[in-house]
Amino acid sequence: MNEPTILKVTSRPEEVSRSPREWVRKNLFANIPNTVLTLVFGAVAIYAIRALLGFILSGERRWGAVATNMRLLMAQGYPADQFVRVWFTLGSLMALTGLTLAAWRAAGRLSIGKISIWVMNTGAIFALFAVIAPISWASRIGWLIAAAILLSIGLGLWFGLRGEKKRPSGSVPTVWFAFGLLGVLVLSLWTVPFGHYAFVEGEFIAESGRTVATSTKLPFTVMWLILIGAYLFGVLIRERIPGSRAKGFLIALWFLSPFILNWIVLRDPDFDYAHIASTDIPLALLFAIGGGLALYLLSKPDLGEIGRIVAIGFLLFAVFNWIAAFFGWYPMLQKVRISFVLLALAALISPNFASDRKTRLRFVTGWIVLIAVSHWLITAINSPSTLELQGPTYLGGFSLTLFVAVLTLLLSFPLGVLLALGRTSSMPIARVLSTVYIESIRGVPLITILFFFSNILPLFLPEGMEIAELAAIVTGYTLFSAAYLAENVRGGLQSVMRGQYEAADAIGLTTSQRTGFIIVPQALRVSIPPLVGQAIGVFKETSLVAIVGAFDLLRIAAYVVPAQTEFLGVKREGLLLISAIYFIVAFSMSKYSQKLEERVGLGER
Amino acid sequence: MSAEIAHETRSDMIVCENVDKWFGDFQALKGVTATIAEQEVVVVLGPSGSGKSTWIRCINRLEAHQKGTIVVDGVELTNDLRNIEKIRSEVGMVFQQFNLFPHLTVRDNVTLAPKWVRKMPKTDAEKKADELLEMVGIPEQAAKYPGQLSGGQQQRVAIARALAMEPRIMLFDEPTSALDPEMIKEVLDVMRDLALGGMTMMVVTHEMGFAREVADRVIFMESGEIVEEGTPEHFFTNPTEDRTKLFLSQIL
Repeated sequence: MNEPTILKVTSRPEEVSRSPREWVRKNLFANIPNTVLTLVFGAVAIYAIRALLGFILSGERRWGAVATNMRLLMAQGYPADQFVRVWFTLGSLMALTGLTLAAWRAAGRLSIGKISIWVMNTGAIFALFAVIAPISWASRIGWLIAAAILLSIGLGLWFGLRGEKKRPSGSVPTVWFAFGLLGVLVLSLWTVPFGHYAFVEGEFIAESGRTVATSTKLPFTVMWLILIGAYLFGVLIRERIPGSRAKGFLIALWFLSPFILNWIVLRDPDFDYAHIASTDIPLALLFAIGGGLALYLLSKPDLGEIGRIVAIGFLLFAVFNWIAAFFGWYPMLQKVRISFVLLALAALISPNFASDRKTRLRFVTGWIVLIAVSHWLITAINSPSTLELQGPTYLGGFSLTLFVAVLTLLLSFPLGVLLALGRTSSMPIARVLSTVYIESIRGVPLITILFFFSNILPLFLPEGMEIAELAAIVTGYTLFSAAYLAENVRGGLQSVMRGQYEAADAIGLTTSQRTGFIIVPQALRVSIPPLVGQAIGVFKETSLVAIVGAFDLLRIAAYVVPAQTEFLGVKREGLLLISAIYFIVAFSMSKYSQKLEERVGLGER
Repeated sequence: MSAEIAHETRSDMIVCENVDKWFGDFQALKGVTATIAEQEVVVVLGPSGSGKSTWIRCINRLEAHQKGTIVVDGVELTNDLRNIEKIRSEVGMVFQQFNLFPHLTVRDNVTLAPKWVRKMPKTDAEKKADELLEMVGIPEQAAKYPGQLSGGQQQRVAIARALAMEPRIMLFDEPTSALDPEMIKEVLDVMRDLALGGMTMMVVTHEMGFAREVADRVIFMESGEIVEEGTPEHFFTNPTEDRTKLFLSQIL
């Protein structure tokens, strides 16, 4: 990154500092209408907060229903003895997060002044709660004490570290501040009695074995340590490897992780290694070496049209394999069919790499990586599960919500971009097909599509072919979301100036190069706000999968927990909790998109 | 005329014969016939809407002509995609609105086409880009984004980007019209150096000083037709056509 140009500024006008009293007068009580509005909305706000606090803190609330059922809400019926896989998954994500933070040099710092203001604000909010919440005097005093402690910590930070200009000097790295906050949360698992506990002889004793805190405090501590360890490790090695390569590697890992981690959660580790050694590995090698050789030859610069003819031959053979599969003419591993399609597509684009030896070898390397990854994924998905689970799917609760949302977003993104390109393309067939697809999907409610895919689609599938319920849901949801995504991207595509197309043409780029290097990046940059809006929508609307029988977060909170004999009819607590969960995730996405916009706005004219 | 002299001694780079172009019912080019020789610098003048930009854009087929023939460096422009790609990699173009790629750094703007069209190795392309940026006088801006540069700097980057493909012909479509007055000179200086270096150039511009000083030949267009052509001295001092005289009296 280049250094920003430093402009010489002769003198900056003094910042007018206003006393709180002046601020209040200017912003809240400037004139009579303003005063009336302030009073009315202030009263409404206080009433609403009081009602909410009254609801949360009421003695009738049984928050134990939530704390005790946390496992159900997070992972539903996932067998407890296999939980190590879930933890492995979370641990991998933590390690990735730590490494990513290190590789991107998350160098932000939080000033002590800001932190102390936060602490003081929290204290002030506690004090406000203590005053307006409908609670007993005893607990009111408890809240006030907490508020006083927070306020004094904040004031202590403010005045204790006060530097030359009225504000405290010094700052802490944002990363470590966040780690510290997470550490406090983890520590609370060790100290605060969540769930079913009774206070007996001065000690909290677990009443039943179903509490979440006891079973997870150790794993969560390990997760926290992994996060910090990965970060420190990343900081340690980041000077020794080239940054761009490390970043590329991490991005690839992030994109592959949903597929690989899902495999870890879903599959039993001891599957048939003999089959792998006798069939899968030789097959992969055959395609990697044979296909690589073919591609190396096909990308010879002096080959001319023969390359394209051979590629079309490959494509016809690949298509024929699928037709044969549909009619059952001859058996063939699905993996072989898919690999032939991949080979044909690679052969079709091989003239683009017709260049010196180095470029062609790089092309072949890309092919070998593609074969390795695709064969690994196909093997992973094809190998049978030995996990025995109750319920319709192996995932449930928050993990199901996350799984469906992440996978749908990952899969619908490329599909949506392709559809948007198709709809704006000059080729009539692509345009008509994309338009028909987008408009017909947008004309159908999501619930209908989910019903179609989970209940009706299996009836149409050829004999012997099955689709797992979760796969059906994700497929339907992806197709639905892609249509909306395409429209958002199309908006971005239309905002790209005609001059950009002309400039790309004038320097001799081919249409696909123009699209990939010039048009789509600019279109996506413009579409960030609507795309994030849609991502939030996709995340929240995963709650609709409850209707087709999946046990997502909403269904467990609204129907499963209230049906337990112990917590019969206890519904509101769970609903409030999941509202908070949805809100936190959605709000984080929204915040992140603001950051992203700022960052990519760099080159903006 | 110098065009004829050039015709005899040098090979023809651009040959247009009876080129017609319509936008719907509006005829933008009417039987344009002209030949531009190697290393020749031709300035195209004319009032706005006279078809000069349309003509220059037909030469690398950003616009398709409908009648007549255009032969660039021995290749005729038809709908055949390979011919178009071949010609575009030999013809550089500089636009009025620069049309730099805003999401790429200056260096990436310049190296993109050599890397992907010429398949030049990355290090070679970057070395070449740095040389070209040096040549247009802004080597220190390589890591910036176009939006961080002034208009004149952006236009010079655009020239470097076109030159990176080592074109045999450079087309300039009103390269200084969108610039603030104090930045025009820096762009014209680069273009003058280019002309002195022997580049075949076709320039649509309103910069009469540039035309007078640098051009080998001036072509005057109006209503899609070539009205008059000749050497700058002939054109500015002793025009034959009334329409030319009227135009010159309006702008000089």
